[in-house]
Amino acid sequence: MITFRFGLDGDLTAPVDDRLTVGDERVVDFLAKVARKLLAPAVARRHPELGSLGYFLRPAELTRAVSRMRREDAIVFPRGNVFHVPPANVDTIFVYSWALSALAGNHNVVRISSRSAAAADTILAALNEVDADPVIRRTQRMVTYGRDDALTAALSQWADLRVIWGGDAAVEAIRKHPLRPSARDLTFPDRTSWAAISAAGWRAADPAARREAVVGFSNDAYWFDQAACSSPRTVFLVGTDTADVRSEFVELLLDVVDQRGWQVDAAMAVEKRVNAYGLAATGAVTALDFPANSVTAMSLAAVPDAPRRWIGAGAFPFAEVGSLLDLVPAMNRQDQTFSHFGFAPAELRAFALALAGRGVDRIVPFGSALTFSAIWDGYDLPHEFTRLTTVAP
Amino acid sequence: MSVFTLPQAVKEEVLLKDLSELVDHHRDRCEPYARILAANGYSSASSIAELPWLPVRLFKNLELKSIPDDEVFKVLTSSGTTGEVSRIYLDKAAAATQTRQLGATVQSVLGPKRLPMLLIDTKAMLKDRRSFSARGAGVLGMSTFGRDHVWALDNDGHVDLDAIRGFLAKHGDAPFLIFGFTYLVWLHLYEVARDNGLDLSQGILIHSGGWKKLVDQAVSPSDFRARLAEVGLVNTHNFYGMVEQIGTIFLEGPSGGSLYCPDFADVIVRDPVTWRELPPGEPGLLEVVSTLPTSYPGHVLLTEDLGVVHGIDDGDWPGKHFSVLGRLPRAEARGCSDTYREAA
Repeated sequence: MITFRFGLDGDLTAPVDDRLTVGDERVVDFLAKVARKLLAPAVARRHPELGSLGYFLRPAELTRAVSRMRREDAIVFPRGNVFHVPPANVDTIFVYSWALSALAGNHNVVRISSRSAAAADTILAALNEVDADPVIRRTQRMVTYGRDDALTAALSQWADLRVIWGGDAAVEAIRKHPLRPSARDLTFPDRTSWAAISAAGWRAADPAARREAVVGFSNDAYWFDQAACSSPRTVFLVGTDTADVRSEFVELLLDVVDQRGWQVDAAMAVEKRVNAYGLAATGAVTALDFPANSVTAMSLAAVPDAPRRWIGAGAFPFAEVGSLLDLVPAMNRQDQTFSHFGFAPAELRAFALALAGRGVDRIVPFGSALTFSAIWDGYDLPHEFTRLTTVAP
Repeated sequence: MSVFTLPQAVKEEVLLKDLSELVDHHRDRCEPYARILAANGYSSASSIAELPWLPVRLFKNLELKSIPDDEVFKVLTSSGTTGEVSRIYLDKAAAATQTRQLGATVQSVLGPKRLPMLLIDTKAMLKDRRSFSARGAGVLGMSTFGRDHVWALDNDGHVDLDAIRGFLAKHGDAPFLIFGFTYLVWLHLYEVARDNGLDLSQGILIHSGGWKKLVDQAVSPSDFRARLAEVGLVNTHNFYGMVEQIGTIFLEGPSGGSLYCPDFADVIVRDPVTWRELPPGEPGLLEVVSTLPTSYPGHVLLTEDLGVVHGIDDGDWPGKHFSVLGRLPRAEARGCSDTYREAA
């Protein structure tokens, strides 16, 4: 059973005569109107995460994204048909992925999970309320359907590009359906994200800056229950004798989380105990600290013991290292976002160069871990959504 | 003969000593357990509530045993709804102890002799491999405490009225044992007894298996007792237990409404925010302690069940008496890797 949530009902893979261009005015106009809806105070109050989405869709941002698609050495065209499979519960991802693809002039089918939450409904309502050129509804379609291999297979045959979010299991399941030889996948598999504090930078910062850092970090960690691919989990303390930094950081974190009124319920508290005890049982963690249900702190035996799976909301393994460069051997292709506080730009750049692309796609300050950008997971999305024609006279 | 004899103060003294020794016993023999205690900085306890507890779900994620591989006599498994399985390792001594103590517990209400037994279940269930571990093991375990067994349901799960009538004709005028899962007893015994005027007045019902399905039908534990009493079944005992503490069951007293702890076991109710022990009357997370687990560190377990202690030394039997109020929901991640499983 297919539910059409946006766009015209009917055969999703039937050929369409309409053609959009890269940066098509009708798309820009539509997205700008959607942005206005999402930035309305009533919406922002109910779903603060839609505010940053609205910001991302403002005309100035759209123009910037379009300009990134253009280039001197080739003519840029839409890639064609794009089939998006976004994750179920990070409501806003499907919009970022789809909007950039639409902006590139593609015909899109987005499969929205039946388990998607309230924010997704708000977005869909906004899309449907906006007065758009009819071409939008003919070329941009969002559907929800249950397990239907035949439909997934048909959409996979239809697509020039298939965008699979949602981790290793989703990528593997959807890859069972072959693409046409000319098509390809853009995959977003399971990721791990980290945080690091420079002990020297922390000690040099004034109390207000430290607090501001913790506020940013707490947004990164607690939004999406520390389960988004970009949510920091393990915190690396970079320097020597960092116990003072850790204890002040944890104290501030407890205070900020308490002030925000973020609660960790009993089920989550038990979940964290199960995971923390499990890490202790295997020897990965040598000390456990449960100052409150909202914050679980653990001491890792060694950097490679840092867990790469979700261990609950507000669960923070800590490990001390002498310098960022000491982390390089422990990083791998699964690692996505590395959020930081207190480092000099040169240190971060040296770290990135030492990683040499073998891991970590984003190095961002505390508070920006969840901020979506057109460069994501190591891909330049506007380029992924376009194709190039060269003309040599 | 009863295992419900010790007043709370006496019990706590005995249990604190025995359980503290068990902590040391398991710490010496189970390395993962020793690491957990070390990470928590545990040294000693001056009350049962201070003993280090393990979340019961750890037995699903880890192999926790305090015996060498070649002494494993039996591995018990429980299937959870999520497909994860607890694995409980018993050596010969632990297996014998759990059977003996379970027997002693039920004999506290059944008397020392084996009674004719009516099973409110279907024999076919034993063949269903999927449901066997949970339901079948419970039925088989309990069936050793009865004789002349009769199944009240036929192979299709329908009430076998002839079989029940035959059982009652033969055994109905002297005490007999009825065993079944609570919701099956409600669905298949209560209504049938009411509609067919069956005489269950000599029956002693022992039942377990959670109240969720009955709560959905707006049947409370006290409704359950009252309705069964209307059809003459006045001796009913619910019990609470889990495979992770095999052999230990908390049994409902004769006047109903409360579960009691056998002499070798106890419960603590914890506040899920402060993790401190709560006084009687305040609901929280149930922790169960028992001296039976010697081959695996299951002697102090934090369950994912909610409960409340109703009183201490003021009920049918000495010690604490309590109720189970329901289950804690499972925490779920809502992150990026949470994609639809139906997406195949």
